[in-house]
Amino acid sequence: MDMNFNQILLLGSIIVPALTSLVLFTKLVNKQSTVTSLACIGFIFPFVAGIILFANFDRSVSGYCFEIFYPKMGLHELKISFHLGLNGVSSPLFAMAGIVGLSAGWVAIHSGAKNLKLFLALLLFMQSGLMGLFASVDLFFYYLFHEFALIPTFIMIGLWGGRDRRSVALEITIYLTFGALVSLGGLVALNVLVESEKFDFPSLSLALSEAMLTESSQFKIFGLLLLGFGILVALFPFHTWAAKGYEVAPTSVSMLHAGVLKKFGLYGLIQIAVPLLPSGALEWSPYLLWLALGNVLFVGLVTLAQTNLKSMIGYGSVMHMGYCFLGVGVCSALGAGSAVMLMVAHGLSVSLMFLLSRFIYKRTGTFEMSQMGGLAEKTPILACCFVAASLATIGLPGFGNFWGELGVFLSLGENAENHIFLILAAVGIIISAIFGLRAVSKIFFGQVSDELKENTGNKKILDLGINELLPAGLILVTLLFLGLWPRGISERIDKEIYSRYSLSSSGQAGLLLPCCPMDKNQSDLSTDYEELKIKSETKK
Amino acid sequence: MDSFLNFSNENLWIEIWPELCLALAALLILGLDLFRKPDSSRLLSGRIAILFQLGLVIFHLFDYLVWHHTFDRVAFSGMLSLGIQGDVMRSFFLLSSLLVSILGHQYLKSGSLRCGEFHHLTMLATAGLMLLVQSSHFLMLFVALETVAICFYTLVAYNRTSEKSLEAGIKYLIFGALSSSLLLFGIVLIYGVGANPEAWGAVFAGYESQDPLGFKYISNLLESNPNNLLLKAGVVLIIAGIAFKIGAAPFQIWVPDVYHGSPMPVTAFLAVSSKAAGFFVLLNLVNGPFLGMAEFLMPLLGFVATFTIFFGNLAACAQQNLKRMLGLSGVAHAGYLLVAVMASMQFAGNSDRAVWVLFFYLFTYLLASFAVFGVMGLARLKDEMDHEFSVYEDLVAKHPWMAFVLVSGIASLAGIPPFAGFIGKLLLFSVAFEAKLHFSLIAMVVGVAISIYYYFGWIREIIFKPRPSFSDETEENEKDLWVKIPSFSMFKLCMITLAICSLILGIWQGPFGDAF
Amino acid sequence: MESITPQHYLILAFLLFSVGFFGVVLRRNLLLVLMSLELMLNGINVALVSFSRASGNLDGSLFVFFIMTVAATEVAVGLALLVALYKKRKSVFSEDISLLKN
Repeated sequence: MDMNFNQILLLGSIIVPALTSLVLFTKLVNKQSTVTSLACIGFIFPFVAGIILFANFDRSVSGYCFEIFYPKMGLHELKISFHLGLNGVSSPLFAMAGIVGLSAGWVAIHSGAKNLKLFLALLLFMQSGLMGLFASVDLFFYYLFHEFALIPTFIMIGLWGGRDRRSVALEITIYLTFGALVSLGGLVALNVLVESEKFDFPSLSLALSEAMLTESSQFKIFGLLLLGFGILVALFPFHTWAAKGYEVAPTSVSMLHAGVLKKFGLYGLIQIAVPLLPSGALEWSPYLLWLALGNVLFVGLVTLAQTNLKSMIGYGSVMHMGYCFLGVGVCSALGAGSAVMLMVAHGLSVSLMFLLSRFIYKRTGTFEMSQMGGLAEKTPILACCFVAASLATIGLPGFGNFWGELGVFLSLGENAENHIFLILAAVGIIISAIFGLRAVSKIFFGQVSDELKENTGNKKILDLGINELLPAGLILVTLLFLGLWPRGISERIDKEIYSRYSLSSSGQAGLLLPCCPMDKNQSDLSTDYEELKIKSETKK
Repeated sequence: MDSFLNFSNENLWIEIWPELCLALAALLILGLDLFRKPDSSRLLSGRIAILFQLGLVIFHLFDYLVWHHTFDRVAFSGMLSLGIQGDVMRSFFLLSSLLVSILGHQYLKSGSLRCGEFHHLTMLATAGLMLLVQSSHFLMLFVALETVAICFYTLVAYNRTSEKSLEAGIKYLIFGALSSSLLLFGIVLIYGVGANPEAWGAVFAGYESQDPLGFKYISNLLESNPNNLLLKAGVVLIIAGIAFKIGAAPFQIWVPDVYHGSPMPVTAFLAVSSKAAGFFVLLNLVNGPFLGMAEFLMPLLGFVATFTIFFGNLAACAQQNLKRMLGLSGVAHAGYLLVAVMASMQFAGNSDRAVWVLFFYLFTYLLASFAVFGVMGLARLKDEMDHEFSVYEDLVAKHPWMAFVLVSGIASLAGIPPFAGFIGKLLLFSVAFEAKLHFSLIAMVVGVAISIYYYFGWIREIIFKPRPSFSDETEENEKDLWVKIPSFSMFKLCMITLAICSLILGIWQGPFGDAF
Repeated sequence: MESITPQHYLILAFLLFSVGFFGVVLRRNLLLVLMSLELMLNGINVALVSFSRASGNLDGSLFVFFIMTVAATEVAVGLALLVALYKKRKSVFSEDISLLKN
């Protein structure tokens, strides 16, 4: 079939890492330099493809660009087809996956791990799954690509992880498989109950626009999807796997997992569950908001208690997912759009934090923050990057996270019922500021601790080398780009979400809110709020 | 001569040519092994058997796919009913038998057991299995079932030098004969009511056929008399007898012991073929004769399926011996398949989607099981029955290709993408949801999550570095426990093909898509 | 005196069957277990013959021949296994033959 340049890039960004991974698995290449160059190709191609496709994206229409459709791929019985494409929500996430993948891969290539070939092969396999995840339109392949990451994570944690890796690897796999199975149950239910031609969002929404599912089945299916996706994204009571797993896993794995893979569930909720099952979403929304608040406050307080840098970042990432969940739980276009922005920015910032924590570990030999101190004198660039990353995570204007969090707060503020969540979530910002800045002060400023003097001895602590500066700088530049020009991604997110959420507008209140304040005039906001109030009254 | 020709045409003997060929070849191989020259290789019969079965598989596939497309017909005056489903299952059993012969050939290479009888028994068992799945008369069903069972009793006890093997054989015989008797008593009860309905309080139902043991007559009988006590007892006894063969709770007691004691290729044969045959017979029965009793059978099967899933998974978590663990995980798989059987009952008459799901699942189970058992058979242990986790320590460093095949087999059994087992489970979920079997679906999800514990525990042993042990605990014999396979042997090729098929089928199910 | 009806035969068959069944389940001596298996099959034969006679249908009687053949085969295999096992363990009691425990 003839494909244009963009489509080749899209398909290639999945196939190239997979092929290089397969080659690295066999005994064909053995020399270190070949291995390195192959792995570089495997990671650079998706990165470049992500950027180019992001730039080439057609912002004037909502819907999918660069579609590749191959109907004979899967079982006809389940209406599976091989359908790739990018839309407004997935193209920033796709680009983010490429960027984080390149940084993670760079760190892995230069990490000097034992049996590097196998490690890179597994990482590349995971990367191809991540790219495929955001590129697929068909829901079955979306799920399949996510599961590509399961076995590589298991192996990588078990072979290259930290202390306790054998049991943590098994635990995390069981937990995540259970979550994946529950969400699969929800997807299967959707597939079976909706009579559509293909198992992807456009066909499903077309079929549902004629005849919505009954309220009770919407409630049950949305509950299943929420439970399954929630476990996969570490929603409040099901978050225990995340921090332990990230603490034990090697850095590149944590970066890819926390930065990119966790967004799978939220992506599914925003793109699929909420628009297709609006009444179910509205019924579950209060529970989701309270659980998300549990994420923010409860896990936030746990993060405060951490003294280990890596586990602090792990718990912190779980905490920030709470904001995304709050955005989703509000069930409005504004909330969903800001959740997507926050997802992109959070993916970048959390992987940057893991990356920098590894650099710190290489210099100080420990992850315990009390055993560090005064590093800013010796490694000013590292300190600068770390401060920037912490401020980005907290949500300082200038970085992408700010816009996402602002949008989430605004969406919470629009409905008077949600004001309590708004106030408590704002408290969460204070908590994250406390642990972020405390980490900065403990690691980089203050007195050099005795343990640090012991551990490093006479060795000079070097600042960031070029091999370390490049991945960190890449992510930092993207965060700044997002922070200073959010319209770069918000416009397309906006179009997509607005068209998607107003598709399900059969009288369901709350889903008709217009887009982000950056695109509409202030006056429009108030009239739409009136509309919302009237509709919510009629619903009751 | 003419009358013989007429007789054979009338009964369509040509339709069972694969079974006849298998039986003849089995006898020839036995004779070959008996009368061969003493200096010819002991393994000659094995090679001939494998070649013959390979040819038969290919020929049979061509026959029913390309040359003579199948259509539904009845042969032997009602004894056999042939159709596309029967032909698919026959190919399945031929393929399984070929793989067992390959595994058995590898197994018999080391050791002093005679080779001819193994292949003879395997081929006879396969012929019996093929006849079993086509049967539409209880007499045929019973005779074929017993043929298979007796061949299996001998195969399980094949390793005469090992006490465990003999013990497993006698245990299997006792349990098997017990369940055959139960099944037979059920058949007899149904026959009794069917032959003389008025005497037992039943309504006469012989308008379509006059043969009281044929499936057609019995389906009419059961439709007309769904509440007759003797008939219900008969049906329950028959299902109990079959539940033994598939290893469903509460008849799964024999599974761990027999799987533990039997030689590796026979364990594989049991796990795949015996289970598949049991399921297909059950499917034929509940969708054919017993359809009239569906309201009575559904809750019963539902309870059995749920109990089987939970028991199989939970008991497997506690096992240290890997063969027992695989046996109990097979019990769990039987539970999943029972859900598919229940779904087929819901759809009976409308569509046979659930039947094709069952086939697909069994096929992926075949690929995965033979890969796993094949690699396990390569371990040269002091007592070959005792496969503990420690045997597999760090296999990925010692023999990477073995580790790859084994891991892909285990992951496919566990149902992890991108392996074929996942597609099988996905189809099962789909079909169960369509049939509104929600409770069983929940049980399946929980069961699969529990099964990850023992499957990935095994993968963990294979891949992760072993725990550091104390220096005074290390074994004296540090030599490699694994048989060395030359790089391009048929066995290695076969195993790698199985693993790659599992992988490809998990992503692209092209040829199977049309069968649906 | 009342005549013997097919119901009587069914009860007889059922009794034979259950004696055999409990023999298989409860007996310790493996030879006696094999005998009980045979007893079960013979109970079934009685039932089959009586049903066949009562209804005039010959299929049941034919079935009996098949069952007898199968029973003979089973016994042959069972006894062969038992002899092999006896040679190894010097005992036919089931508690002496229990290597396959968890």
